Amino acid sequence: MTVHKKSESKVQRKLKYLSISTRVSILIGIIILTAMGALSILSLIKQKDDAINSICNNTGQLSSTIEKILRVSMLKNQRDEISLSISNIVDKEDIKSIRIINHKGEIKFSSVQSDINKDISHSGKLCISCHTQMPISSRSSFPNIKNFHHYRIDDKKSLVYYALPIYNAPECYTEECHAINIHDPDNGRNFSKVISGEKRQSFQGTSSGKKSLPISASGSTTFFAHDSSQKILGFIEIEVSIKKVISSIENTRRQLILLTVLFAVIASLIVYFSIRYLIGKPVKNIVSGTIRVAQGDFKHEIPPGKAELGILSESFNKMQKQLVLTQSQLIESEKLASVGKLADEVANEIKNPLTGILIFSESLLSEMQSGFNNNEHNIASTTKDLELIKQQALKIRESIKNILSLTKRKPPVFSSTDLSKIISMAVSVVEKFSNFRNIKVITTIQKQLPEIHADSNLMEQVFLNLLLLTSDSMSAGGIINISAGIFNNFLQIIFSSTGSGKRTDIAKKLTSEGFSKGLSDPEKEEISLAVCQNIIQMHGGKLEVNSERIGTFITIELPVDA
Amino acid sequence: MNKKIKMLAVDSEEIILKSISRALKSDKSTEFIITTSTTSLDALKQIRENTFDLIILDLALPGMNGIEIFRRIKNIYPEIPIIIMSGFSFSGIHYNLGMDEIAVNETFSKAAGFLLKPFTTDEINTLVKNIVSKDI
Repeated sequence: MTVHKKSESKVQRKLKYLSISTRVSILIGIIILTAMGALSILSLIKQKDDAINSICNNTGQLSSTIEKILRVSMLKNQRDEISLSISNIVDKEDIKSIRIINHKGEIKFSSVQSDINKDISHSGKLCISCHTQMPISSRSSFPNIKNFHHYRIDDKKSLVYYALPIYNAPECYTEECHAINIHDPDNGRNFSKVISGEKRQSFQGTSSGKKSLPISASGSTTFFAHDSSQKILGFIEIEVSIKKVISSIENTRRQLILLTVLFAVIASLIVYFSIRYLIGKPVKNIVSGTIRVAQGDFKHEIPPGKAELGILSESFNKMQKQLVLTQSQLIESEKLASVGKLADEVANEIKNPLTGILIFSESLLSEMQSGFNNNEHNIASTTKDLELIKQQALKIRESIKNILSLTKRKPPVFSSTDLSKIISMAVSVVEKFSNFRNIKVITTIQKQLPEIHADSNLMEQVFLNLLLLTSDSMSAGGIINISAGIFNNFLQIIFSSTGSGKRTDIAKKLTSEGFSKGLSDPEKEEISLAVCQNIIQMHGGKLEVNSERIGTFITIELPVDA
Repeated sequence: MNKKIKMLAVDSEEIILKSISRALKSDKSTEFIITTSTTSLDALKQIRENTFDLIILDLALPGMNGIEIFRRIKNIYPEIPIIIMSGFSFSGIHYNLGMDEIAVNETFSKAAGFLLKPFTTDEINTLVKNIVSKDI
């Protein structure tokens, strides 16, 4: 696998994750939902408590008012008046019912007719709440509590029950209105007993059985309705509906939920688009820039941004320029390394014609000095020798030209290039080298191979380097096959050798690990391969190397429209 | 001209073979009968079919390198002096030949002389004369 493929697949894998803007907006949405949700719940609880408290207070005031209104009727024993007043006050919607309960727990008046005369002393929550620690039998003694009032809330029925005590007052046990005064001779105290209208007649006609009742001066027995020792005579209990409040709070809750969700969504969207525009876009530019540079497009520059990301873009562009410079230096140094090897080979090539020039010129010089006395040498043979000297000098010139074409420093120039010519040229150069004497190079190039947009000098360097590298592992000789053709819209060039495969790890040299090692401890082959790969990437192509025991396979793919 | 020396010159380049012939002709005291070969196989064939007093052998030959031919000739005719000739520097020639340095040095120790290209008429004549006067 090549460095290019690896980095590409890594980037693609990473891009599958949610983007920064999406992740941050989801986070913001969750935070807003949680915070606002918690605040809303607390606020609703408080609101509900306050509303119910307010209802209770209002109910208390209402109870107090009703008690004051009814007190006169109670003192006058106007029972029908009381019943009528209660019925009038109850409005079914908010005030559900009003009941007057005596100290025994008997309902004496009620807006609900069926409740009248019911005994709630054993079951009524009103009684039980105070009598839990007090025997229920001692009904004559109510808790001695000042300003006693009681309310309870029935959430299921959405009702508030408010009970206002009817405190005993002197007029209650001194007025004769509805009470029958009874004198207890045992303790000399008067006591009162509330009785209904019908029973009152019977009371008036009879004494209380076991007790002997004193006869008043008028000759009749006086019964008082209430005992002066009693603190509380009974309760006025009002049943108030809180449905409206509950329903209002429910509405508020629904609105709050809706607003919270809406706010979270809007905030998330604002954050999403802000991050996408302010961070995502510049980051995307940087990411695409790094990918393009990784793929060999060193000309690509990231658009300048603002603030930190702008500094990052600028740093990246600077780094990229430095990288281009370093790469060109690396290519140059590799070129020089190749030139070193080539120079050695070329020197050998030069030395042969140079020997000829030396020997033949010496021979001619010697003959000239001897005045051409010897008839063996006529003008024709001298001309032949000089011709030979000229040919050898031309050979040297050709060799020097070849080496100079490789050492020329010039920036890459991309133009329509016929790779088949470059391959043939590279092959013809290396075939003269000593280590190619036992190596046969076979080229199979597809007819009418399309031209590509490339720098011919750089491509020449690639093919020369690859030929030299392949030959390095073929000390025993062999065949190098070079085939070129169109495959999947790419111009594909395959180098395959039948060499011994001396270095089976040649493919590893192309990995990032090999390359980094190469930089720290530069080995010729590693740098050479890395440079070849960079040149191919610069042309928008890719280079893959596979070394096996039977030889080396190098595949180059170049875009036809590059 | 009192001496006749049968010599085999082996090099892939014709110009070298021509140069050797021309240079040795300048020595009027010795007659050189020079046979030339441009390939290693032809060189071995010539050695089997003829008798030579001296061999000048280039190390970089197609098919079989000079070191291999040197070993083979020495195995069959150890007494024939061989001059090793090369365009490469002798100190790093094992690298150019892709061979082990020790094996190359061992071969060199058995060589009668070394001729480094480009050589002059005097250089080749002096070297050949020394070997001829010593060995033959």
